[in-house]
Amino acid sequence: MPINLNEERDPELIKQIVKVGGEDLLKCFQCGTCIADCPTGVADEPLSVKRLIYIAKLGLAEKLIEDETPWMCVTCTGCEERCPRDARPFEIILAIRRWQCMEDETYIPQALTEIYERGHTQNVVNPMREELDLPEIKTVATREELLERFRQLLRETKIVREHGYMFGIMEE
Amino acid sequence: MKVGLFLGCNLPALRPDAEKAIRISLQSLGVEVVDLEGAACCPAFGTFWSADEEAAIAIGAWNYSIAEKMGVDMIVQCGSCYSTLKMSRHKLVNEKLQEINEKFLSKVGARYEGRSDTKHITDFLYNTVGVERIKSSLKYSMKGLKAVVQVPCHTLRPSKILGFDNPENPRVLKELTRALGAEVPTFTRDRQCCGGAGGYARRNRRAAMEFLKLKLDSMKEEVDPDCIVVSCITCLMWMDEAQEEMRKLGMIDYSIPVFDYNQLLAICQGHDPQKVARIAATPRDKVIAKILENKV
Repeated sequence: MPINLNEERDPELIKQIVKVGGEDLLKCFQCGTCIADCPTGVADEPLSVKRLIYIAKLGLAEKLIEDETPWMCVTCTGCEERCPRDARPFEIILAIRRWQCMEDETYIPQALTEIYERGHTQNVVNPMREELDLPEIKTVATREELLERFRQLLRETKIVREHGYMFGIMEE
Repeated sequence: MKVGLFLGCNLPALRPDAEKAIRISLQSLGVEVVDLEGAACCPAFGTFWSADEEAAIAIGAWNYSIAEKMGVDMIVQCGSCYSTLKMSRHKLVNEKLQEINEKFLSKVGARYEGRSDTKHITDFLYNTVGVERIKSSLKYSMKGLKAVVQVPCHTLRPSKILGFDNPENPRVLKELTRALGAEVPTFTRDRQCCGGAGGYARRNRRAAMEFLKLKLDSMKEEVDPDCIVVSCITCLMWMDEAQEEMRKLGMIDYSIPVFDYNQLLAICQGHDPQKVARIAATPRDKVIAKILENKV
């Protein structure tokens, strides 16, 4: 998607990204080191942190909300390691994801509700355990009382408080 | 030596044989492995970290509070768990410890003082157990086998926060593999990430496979290894399962078996391959048979 400078700009955008963890974004001087070794480089539409930062700096909120490339990140943190400005590109990717979740809750990953439900992203009790002589799983997956305390902790977090219905929590 | 085994989600859910390999091989090295009662998801970068950072750090602190109460450090195989646990600890001990304790842990009767830490299993094996002790635990060897290693990127970077190896020229997993008797050659794309983690393979599977193919072609053409050694559940599953898919799609016409390091270690220690290395999409029988021919 080309960048159109005539689009409506939101001067608050950059501040919002900074607020959710992108505080080093302003250090970026668009050198492109972050994309040089990114695994997504072979994709038709690669993840370019450099470009995302540019969009954020221009205040193109509409464009940024539509851009799903931050979710393609492999989380290898090669960009984070090699950025010559220490702009922490990986933290910026996460910050943009958070901003997108705030602006459009359909971005909030389903896995959050899985973790709230059972403490894990999936069922961790594999039926093969017995055959392999593995000991019982002792995580919250099998400890109902601890799972309830874990859920209680999650209910204190902003994301669960503000989107309770997603986690099956009915408003009082 | 006593350590808390942080299981994470994918390892017990999908590769319990690799979990078995980790437990039993550590046992053979005289390490006491305890389970972290009440541990939860690390949480993964694609979950709470992507929606609410404070929540992610609070969950990390919950996991640490369990290890700390038991007086142990955590060891972990999954690269992603390792990275997020180190990340949350970094943010906790440098800034947020008090706040997270007050806002979250104190509400559920837990507390983290910043004492317990996380170690990746390769760090623990290399720097705490040591290769000499590993060597003396072996009944079989990988002598005559050529192995390439896939170093999990999450154990290398950001090196300032979680590094224990040279981020641009890692050697820990290579040395550990050499300790089993294997030859560990290097090749052009040696240091390339597998591409399996995060949202890449889920959002653009074809591109993630093309990316993996660059690496597989490079190792096949340059060194033609007998197997790939990994130490991360994602590298293990992705490099193993994507190969099978790529063969079906006609993208590759070869097959390179993939093992978790502890699976090879456990087999070399004489443990039953049916228990420690049962699940694989890319057949591994030939490598296992070869090892069992090499009595130490």
